[in-house]
Amino acid sequence: MSDFDAIVVGAGPAGSAAALELARAGRSVCLLERGPTPGSKNMYGGVVYGRILDTLVPGWWEQMPVQRWVTRRSTMLIHDDRALTVDFRHPGWGAAPFNGATTFRPDFDAWLAGLAVDAGASLVCSTTATGLIREGGRVVGVRTDRPDGDLRAPVVIACDGVNSFLAKEAGMYPHTDAANFTVGVKETISLPREVIDERFGVRGEEGVDIEILGCTGDVPGGGFVYTNATSVAVGLVLSLPALAAGGDRPEELLRRLKAHPAIAPLVEGGEVLEYSAHVIPEAGYEMMPELVGDGILVAGDAAAMCLAAGIWLEGVNFAIGSGAAAGRAAAQCIARNDTSAAALAAYRRALESSFVLADHRKLRAAPHLVMGDLAQRGLPAVACGVMEDLFTVRNPEPKPGVRRIVRTQMRRHGVRARDAVREGLRALRAFG
Amino acid sequence: MIVAACVKLVDLRPGVDRLTGAVTPSTTLGCSAADRAAVELALQLADSWSAESVVVCCGPDRADPVLREFAAAGVDRLVRIDATGAPDSADVAGLLATTLAGLGADVVVCGDHSLDRGSGSVPAFVAGALGAAQALGLVEVGTEGPGTLRATRRLDGGRRERLVVDAPSVVSVEGSVAELRRASLAATLRAGDVPVEVVAAPGLVVPPTVTTRPWVPPTRVQPPPQGTAALERVVELTGAMVERTPPRTVELPPDRAAALIVEQLRAWGYLEAVPSEPATDG
Ligand SMILES: Cc1cc2nc3c(=O)[nH]c(=O)nc-3n(C[C@H](O)[C@H](O)[C@H](O)COP(=O)(O)OP(=O)(O)OC[C@H]3O[C@@H](n4cnc5c(N)ncnc54)[C@H](O)[C@@H]3O)c2cc1C
Repeated sequence: MSDFDAIVVGAGPAGSAAALELARAGRSVCLLERGPTPGSKNMYGGVVYGRILDTLVPGWWEQMPVQRWVTRRSTMLIHDDRALTVDFRHPGWGAAPFNGATTFRPDFDAWLAGLAVDAGASLVCSTTATGLIREGGRVVGVRTDRPDGDLRAPVVIACDGVNSFLAKEAGMYPHTDAANFTVGVKETISLPREVIDERFGVRGEEGVDIEILGCTGDVPGGGFVYTNATSVAVGLVLSLPALAAGGDRPEELLRRLKAHPAIAPLVEGGEVLEYSAHVIPEAGYEMMPELVGDGILVAGDAAAMCLAAGIWLEGVNFAIGSGAAAGRAAAQCIARNDTSAAALAAYRRALESSFVLADHRKLRAAPHLVMGDLAQRGLPAVACGVMEDLFTVRNPEPKPGVRRIVRTQMRRHGVRARDAVREGLRALRAFG
Repeated sequence: MIVAACVKLVDLRPGVDRLTGAVTPSTTLGCSAADRAAVELALQLADSWSAESVVVCCGPDRADPVLREFAAAGVDRLVRIDATGAPDSADVAGLLATTLAGLGADVVVCGDHSLDRGSGSVPAFVAGALGAAQALGLVEVGTEGPGTLRATRRLDGGRRERLVVDAPSVVSVEGSVAELRRASLAATLRAGDVPVEVVAAPGLVVPPTVTTRPWVPPTRVQPPPQGTAALERVVELTGAMVERTPPRTVELPPDRAAALIVEQLRAWGYLEAVPSEPATDG
């Protein structure tokens, strides 16, 4: 006997999108969340890219809880105390249909889960799915940590986030390798709205997204700064094996980033409201598990669908895209009374033809490239060195030629032309 | 027989503007560990006396989902006195007493403090209004048959007082008395449909919210330091090298000791009025 048509584990963006689609298709769905409210246990950097919501929640920008609309995106390369920034502004992103917005996870996740509940999903919080119930090899429900906590349904959608215990228990991750994961750490720093406007050169509801390379010392990774209405998020994404191997701790690296001459003026005088950390499935396509099993689908970070490709750190939109696809596929299979792996494979096909797997496949080499030595050390060092030599006026010496500057800097930082060309070609291929 | 638990639901994540002190309410309500212990104790007493259990709360309709969590844990009835804002404790107690009398509650269990003000005065007011026996701040509660509680109360100096309290009674308990049981999954799923009986609170006057800034010691006028070197001036300003008034030990009866303390605090400038300004409600 089934209690519901479907069980979705995890009320993050993937789970709520899945539950929303199932409920809209008229299916009974139980959305389980271990936190006391959706989003209460979740953190991220700060930007949600809303295009994926256009079809799911038309006019989403009128109801989504937003801190600021991102109208300025910068990519910063840091070396020692120097920094080179490529800064792009687009005021058009500050008006409908918008592009991306900073928002807090407790607000955003609660909003999305609320839509699923309004559509008819049963949200049960403070309840952890502790395992799968299986019969004859197929998944027929989940066990929870509540008394009499077994729950049965013909299909379970695992949206329990990175390091998914459910997908692992279902045998969908053949192997896990710590090298595929990074850890993200973040401080939320309170500053008055006017101070943020002035320091970041924005007005009203406009916001800024800065992605940083070269700011993580000996640990491969990257950094970010995002503006909220009255706070700034400053964080790092760091390779797990490198952290485990010893050396600097995340909070020390974050302290150094905040003290860097390019970042300190942005955050000084602010009060730290919150420090948080979370693991990221960094390797994307290369680490994805089986997405479909008998009676089970995996979506969002649980299926390593976060896109972490240097200039892009997008996970929420991929989670919503995959969750919604899982919900739709599950609803169709339930209607046909067939939730076998063969029937549920429609989910994988839907993802293949959407941005979710298309982007991941195209960018499959990008995470590795971004975490490589050239991107981490060589590129920021050479770029900052070239800028310094170009713009330092050494009269009465004449200006050196650009080619000579580049050659000198590459030699100084141990970057061989052959390696640079090879990595450049790989980057061209990776970013297509 | 009816055993009632009274709980106060409080905003768990209000936004506080650091510059103006203005408070923005959140959607997350919750109650103190003591209130949750009160609900658990009410459930245990109702179980052992085969009585009906009721949770009564004075609050806005945002409280209903939290009340339903108590229904999932096994409470038979949920009653909410409809009120927004922060009514005065005595008014809340009056409304609770009227509602509890209407329900015919024999034993009323409250938490000994709420999450916000936490003065623990409401149970005493309720007992007074109901003309019931009262035992407040209990650390242990057992039963000696239907309607009769055997309780231990914390006193000063680590002492304990053992009491036997007969119904009708109002007791308040510390959070350590009991831990609210975890609701089963089936009950949690069913709880969404449990009705909350709403009692109107006509004529309830909710005082406007007063925004209070953090207390800052009053400024005192200091003569400018005379030293020629910066270090001398700093030393002079901070009084670092000045001989201090030695601590004074006095032995006095409590009333005179209190008066002396107040007099000294006033002399030091600590007892000036806290600056406050009325703000619009909400
Ligand atoms: C530091 C950092 C910065 C990031 N920055 C961005 C960014 O700026 N933009 C962006 O788009 N993405 C960003 N991401 C990625 C993004 O946060 C994730 O990709 C996204 O949250 C994945 O959504 P999800 O629903 O799959 O998983 P999650 O958001 O992790 O949600 C999983 C949910 O499942 C619940 N859960 C887990 N296990 C159980 C269980 N057993 N039982 C019940 N419930 C369970 C959890 O409590 C949680 O609510 C960032 C991530 C990090 C760590």
